[in-house]
Amino acid sequence: MNTLIIISVLPIVLLYLGLYKAQKALLPVTIVGMLVALGAAVMQWNDNAQPIYHGMMLFNNFSIAFSVVSIISTILILMLSKGYFEKISSHIAEYYAIILFSLVGIVVMVSYHNLTMLFVGIEIMSVSLYILAGIRKNDFASNESALKYFLMGAFSTGFLLFGITLIYGASGSFDLDGIRDYVLSHSHNIDPIFYTGVLLIIVGLCFKVGAAPFHFWTPDVYEGAPSLITAYMSTVVKAAGFAAFLRLFSASFSSIAAFWSPVLMVITIITLFIGNITALYQQSFKRMLAFSSISHAGYLMFAIVALGAASANAVFVYATAYSIASIIAFGALVLVRQQTGSDNVDGFNGLARKNPFLAFVLTVSMLSLAGIPLTAGFIGKFYMFSGALLQYKYIMVIVAVVNAIISIFYYFRVIIAMYFRSAERSEVLIPAYYKFVLGFSALVTIAIGVYPALISSLI
Amino acid sequence: MSTFYFIAFLSIFFSILVISAKSPVHSILYLILTFFTFTIHYILMNAQFLAIVNFIVYMGAILVLFLYTLMLINLNKDSEPVKPFMVKLAAVFGAGILMVALVSSLKLSGASAPVVLTNPNLGLVKNLGKVLFNEFLLPFEVSSVLLLSAMVGAVLLATKDPKEPKATI
Repeated sequence: MNTLIIISVLPIVLLYLGLYKAQKALLPVTIVGMLVALGAAVMQWNDNAQPIYHGMMLFNNFSIAFSVVSIISTILILMLSKGYFEKISSHIAEYYAIILFSLVGIVVMVSYHNLTMLFVGIEIMSVSLYILAGIRKNDFASNESALKYFLMGAFSTGFLLFGITLIYGASGSFDLDGIRDYVLSHSHNIDPIFYTGVLLIIVGLCFKVGAAPFHFWTPDVYEGAPSLITAYMSTVVKAAGFAAFLRLFSASFSSIAAFWSPVLMVITIITLFIGNITALYQQSFKRMLAFSSISHAGYLMFAIVALGAASANAVFVYATAYSIASIIAFGALVLVRQQTGSDNVDGFNGLARKNPFLAFVLTVSMLSLAGIPLTAGFIGKFYMFSGALLQYKYIMVIVAVVNAIISIFYYFRVIIAMYFRSAERSEVLIPAYYKFVLGFSALVTIAIGVYPALISSLI
Repeated sequence: MSTFYFIAFLSIFFSILVISAKSPVHSILYLILTFFTFTIHYILMNAQFLAIVNFIVYMGAILVLFLYTLMLINLNKDSEPVKPFMVKLAAVFGAGILMVALVSSLKLSGASAPVVLTNPNLGLVKNLGKVLFNEFLLPFEVSSVLLLSAMVGAVLLATKDPKEPKATI
């Protein structure tokens, strides 16, 4: 709870700093404030949390773990933003404030214990993201991305709300425990309205996490938004969306898994194929990352389809690995784009000769996204697949492995471009902040890959 | 009960007119009428607060805003894109499936005991306030963050930047 309060107050402080033209203090104050929030979250670890405020929030280990990952990823992305927002406009305090506001929504989303809080959390996060996607006001792609995201997001929220309403109509409760008790006590005569509600909630949440066939907004929105905002959307937001998804389904709907797991299984398989096969054809690195984020949503769905005691852990490891690797990829994209001016994969040609460090960390990130052993991505996939195999979902695992092989093709294209293609280019200047973030993320990726026990038994 | 059926008929009738009207302005006027019938529904269900909010905010503010926006942008018949047949078919198919699911589940659930409100006067402003400031205090407070974020964002998007943006970001 303290984390939530600190992150809510911090943007207001930032807005005041912006008012008094303290531009230099913005980033340090943000990072210090977030570190304090991080400390407050870690302090509550193993605290035997009970639902607080009439059962609205439950800040247990699951919430703390996902809050910590979200906060750390946000800090890393904000460090990359030094000197970035200044190029867009002079009102940079507002940008930091809105990013932090959306982080408030994310903390609510990972620690809700009542469907009203889930809705409020998702809305806080989404409204902030609609604005962030459109902050390049004079850029047509950015406008398009913001408008598209807004319309699609509002539409999907309608489905989510309708689902929540129907579930309330059947069970008479917004509380996760209340809904679970309803399902358990009426196991033979659950209202059909309840099932319809579950399906509508699946539609709404799949929209938010960008799983096929509700993924249509993802490529355009991710491509049009400024790169760092795309990094934020495809890492922190996606991880939080899956945390919220998993929390609802494991806390309330786990006893009717036979009803919804075939639906999610079909969604997972479609997501994997659409994400990976479309990514093969992309020439733009940013668009390729957008489609790869769709396919990663498919892998993350595994933990929900094969719901079990280890699901939370699997999502946590996978989301951490994916977030950190994506941050490297987007950081490298921002740097290369500043030099070449385009998002194309060809822009990476011959990068290894002039910038061995940048090429190396980007290689680590690509290997991790593809799931090659000794990187964090492999560990994430390992936990996902072993969870599915425990429940004898062989077909899904086979489909996923085929997709992992397809994905190697497009991830390796970047590595080949960097090491084996030559192009006339000058050295990309890497600021110290970028060096720290890229190096730290690569180190964490390898550390988790070599010694997964670091985070694999936390939740 | 007959009032309910009459008003429900009017709601459906006007909402069909909303999507079938040729001119967008007519469409919005029908939408206002549809929302007015919703207001009557809320009153019939003894939810007076919702009725007033629906009347003032949706009918009064938002739809008038809609109307102004429509008058500002140029919406001629020739500028309106013609949707391909397949898209129309897919939309009808999808919405039809949703309707079948909802209608069938509603029909089946009629037999089981509906959730009975413990307090039939729950929709009155007084009772709503009690619930909002007691049980649902936290969501109520946290929504302030939502409004603040939306406000900051609206100001940010609406202010003019003196600086020229650089192309390579």
